[in-house]
Amino acid sequence: MLLALPLVLSSYLVTVFVLIFFYAYLGQAWNIVGGYAGQLSAGHAAFVGVGAYTAAVLSLSAGLTPWVGMFVGGALAAVLGAFIGFLGFRFGLRGFYFVLLTVAFAEMCRIVANNVEAIGGAVGLYITFTGNPRQFQFQDTRAYYYIALGLMIAATAVAAAIERRRFGVYLSAIREDEGAAEAVGVPTFRYKMLAMIVSSFLTGVGGTFYAFYLFSLQPNTVFGIPLSVEIIIRPIVGGAGTLFGPVVGSFILSPLAELTRLYFAAGGGWAGVHLIVYGVLLVVVVLFFPQGAVPWMKRALGRTRA
Amino acid sequence: MAEGLCAEQVRLPATQGLILDPVLVVQAVVSGLLFGGVYSLMAIGLTLIFGVMRVVNFAHGDLMVWAMYLAWLGATRFGVDPYVGFVGAAAILFVAGFVIQRQLVDRIVDAPHEMQILLMLGVALVLENTALVAFGPEPQRVRTPLTQAAVWLGPVFVDVGRLVTFLVAIALTAALWLFLYRSDLGRQMRAVADNGYGAHVIGTDVRHVSAVAFAVGAACVGAAGALVAPLLPFQPPTGLQLSVTSFNIVIIGGMGSVLGAFVGGLIVSVAESLGAVFLNPSMKELVSFALLVVILLVRPAGIFGRRAI
Amino acid sequence: MHRRTLLKTTVMGAAVAGFPLPLRAQPKTIKIAAIHTVTGALAEPGQACRMAAQIAVDHVNGSGGIKSMGGAKLELMLGDTQTKPDVARTEAERLINAGAQILMGTFNSGDTAAIVPVAQQRRVPFLVDISAADPITANVARAVKEGQQKVQYVYRNFPTGSLFGQRAVQYFTEIFKEAGVSPRRVVLMHCNDLFGTNQAKGFQAAHKAANPPWDIVEVISWPEPPSDLSTEVSRAKAAKPDIIAPITRPASALLLLPELRKQRVEAMGIVGPGSPGLYEAGQLTALKDDLEYVMTSVPWPNFKHPQAQRLAEEYLRRSGGKMLDTNSGYSYDGIHVIADVLERAKSTDPDAVVDAIQKTSFKDNLMISTGPVVFNEIGDNPNAAPAMIQILKHKPVAVWPKDYALSKFVFPRPKA
Repeated sequence: MLLALPLVLSSYLVTVFVLIFFYAYLGQAWNIVGGYAGQLSAGHAAFVGVGAYTAAVLSLSAGLTPWVGMFVGGALAAVLGAFIGFLGFRFGLRGFYFVLLTVAFAEMCRIVANNVEAIGGAVGLYITFTGNPRQFQFQDTRAYYYIALGLMIAATAVAAAIERRRFGVYLSAIREDEGAAEAVGVPTFRYKMLAMIVSSFLTGVGGTFYAFYLFSLQPNTVFGIPLSVEIIIRPIVGGAGTLFGPVVGSFILSPLAELTRLYFAAGGGWAGVHLIVYGVLLVVVVLFFPQGAVPWMKRALGRTRA
Repeated sequence: MAEGLCAEQVRLPATQGLILDPVLVVQAVVSGLLFGGVYSLMAIGLTLIFGVMRVVNFAHGDLMVWAMYLAWLGATRFGVDPYVGFVGAAAILFVAGFVIQRQLVDRIVDAPHEMQILLMLGVALVLENTALVAFGPEPQRVRTPLTQAAVWLGPVFVDVGRLVTFLVAIALTAALWLFLYRSDLGRQMRAVADNGYGAHVIGTDVRHVSAVAFAVGAACVGAAGALVAPLLPFQPPTGLQLSVTSFNIVIIGGMGSVLGAFVGGLIVSVAESLGAVFLNPSMKELVSFALLVVILLVRPAGIFGRRAI
Repeated sequence: MHRRTLLKTTVMGAAVAGFPLPLRAQPKTIKIAAIHTVTGALAEPGQACRMAAQIAVDHVNGSGGIKSMGGAKLELMLGDTQTKPDVARTEAERLINAGAQILMGTFNSGDTAAIVPVAQQRRVPFLVDISAADPITANVARAVKEGQQKVQYVYRNFPTGSLFGQRAVQYFTEIFKEAGVSPRRVVLMHCNDLFGTNQAKGFQAAHKAANPPWDIVEVISWPEPPSDLSTEVSRAKAAKPDIIAPITRPASALLLLPELRKQRVEAMGIVGPGSPGLYEAGQLTALKDDLEYVMTSVPWPNFKHPQAQRLAEEYLRRSGGKMLDTNSGYSYDGIHVIADVLERAKSTDPDAVVDAIQKTSFKDNLMISTGPVVFNEIGDNPNAAPAMIQILKHKPVAVWPKDYALSKFVFPRPKA
């Protein structure tokens, strides 16, 4: 059904869906290390940024097509992820301390990007709109829709594959009780690293989409904490560590943000009210649906069936 | 020349060679120490809340910005000098903190970590944007006679406003320390921080103590905000920045340690100041983040933190 | 199927698919989307732009609308980018879908860049009222030149970063000469964000090209918004400046200027190559004497034009006390340029509009410029120019070039 939608929807709604799918993709990528493995990272924007800048710089200076550039970007992001993971896991950082480590790295990337001339510094990079598919650009927005949808499905497939295998079992053991898992012989360090690498690789690839969809990169936007927040909010609201959590979360939050903005933003003096609603909703979800939407839905459905 | 990149590939000189002007270095250290007082104030409330409640208060910076706005209102509408009005700000935030803890945080004390973070993030969003609607987006600053004054020790300049804040930071740290180590309630708080269950077993009303702890932490933030308002320009988005900086300081100094917050503030500030001398100042925050990473790896409990994680 | 139902279904289907319904002969209203950074970090200038655009639309409609199209009125559709590029893009799509025929915006170069592809894809003319990053139009022009795109739909009525730099250097040199002094050492201090860095680069490039008798001896930048500028100012002082050239945002200006005074940085003057933060009403109230005699080269309304003063008063009233300045002025002009374009195009057909844009020679603009509004082959207005304004007696006043000056400049500044 999703495949047929662009044929009937207006371009505006197609755009909304592109963002729903894209953020679901990023959320799913995060879910692998943040949800399944339980290692909360609040600095995933770093990987988006690394991926985005890599592909953009390669395209602008070497003419490398982003179709290849995205994998280079993903690889570099994975290297950064491995580095952060190594530092965090080898030194035994858990919970909040790991969160801060990831935030620190994202901020450092942001500051460095703001100050390095060669990649544009604070001015950032601008990509010329050519509409040329070889440059990962399309004249028709619907193409982006299918790509974003494809990305979301791909990430979910990866998560599903992990969930099914021993990898996934180990990750949930680590998430539930890392000490016990280690005692039982689970190679925790190795699997946490793997999760981190997969997650950061996928996020980096997403960065390329970001760059070639929005056509400009500024360090504060693409490495910034607000982007990291957007990434983690969807899986958490939808259900961290569940397969469809990020997707459901994105389908809840993106339209919500859109609607609240439209409803409240018309008047200039009330600018910002929609973000208040967003915040209140977050609080409500946390208080009354702490496991996230997917487990709640499962329980609700289970009850009606019984 | 690369397509699409800005046509003028002008080098912005990162530094005109190493600045070895000794006066400049001394000045940087002095300025850094004094501004450290500001940072310390910011961090004290946060460390208390985390130390006692293990709650990561992501709304910290936004609470502080609200306190700054309260101080600004007091100064502009009622002519109350922030150095007096901070008591009022502290009181208001005490109540706010109590309510937040009782009504919101308490309900998710047993929930997974992510939920806590999300909750306070939601609170932060609400605070930031209510401030935006109420006060508008322009940066504000509170002018007081003190902040205009400067004192000169030879070639080195001392900002009077910051000196006063530094002294107040010392006083507040001392007052808080006395409260935690010499008063009954303070002892109870530390007991809850060390071992919540144990404290419960011996009859401590953990819920009540937690709420008071959060409230006291919020009051500290309130006082800090009001005292710092004359020194910093602030606008609703400033909250996020303040939160990040405060977390930095608190980790470096040691979560839960009031002395750590004080010393951590000084360290971070001096590090940034020296960073601004030897690097391009636009990179000075890199220094404090690098410091954070080092501490996280070498001694995550922080300089004065008592427990390993 | 019943005929009425068939018709309804077709109409619904068409609406959902976004196809334009068969148009009547002459549109009664022309929809212009004003998409600005109304919330988020750049909310204040964004709100100023929106207000000015609204006033401009009221004026155009009040004087008869677009006469060549039967008195068609302009209707302003409002969009908010939240200072985020992905939201900017979504807003553009939404408004185009709701019938917007022309876009204007956004103030923030990053958001503007995100809308460019939408304008090109959907063939909707996009007039950038404010954004200084050169690549915004240059990239589109190049794509058209190389055949990757057929038509350029993006045009900008605002000085580009490089133009800012050139004029700033020119004004610096001219003012020093007119004042009869020869400062040698200029210390450039700028905020390290999109705008500040762009300006700084433009200024330095222009300086290199023009090779005037003064030098930029040190460049000091800080992360925006800063909490503390004491070390930066100490560094500036150590460089023994004759002139301090600040590029600030309002937040950093609130810290920088008092700090310069407290640390007793003695300079002949504080002359900025162009930035906000040095002339707005809120800044004047907060900084008072610290802003006196400060100069900055910014786009400015031409208050010698009779309409400008009236507009300033109306703007003051409707905005609740805000001053007409750079941003509001350009948004106001932007709407009038669009109105002029529509008069000549006599239709809202995108290619007719683009054709009319390219032939523009609009003389009734209220912003200071070196000629009428025209668009060059890149799509920029080379006549959009800043002017040097100075804060005298707590009010910003144009002091250079002489043609637009309302007052003589005061330089070097008097010793405190």
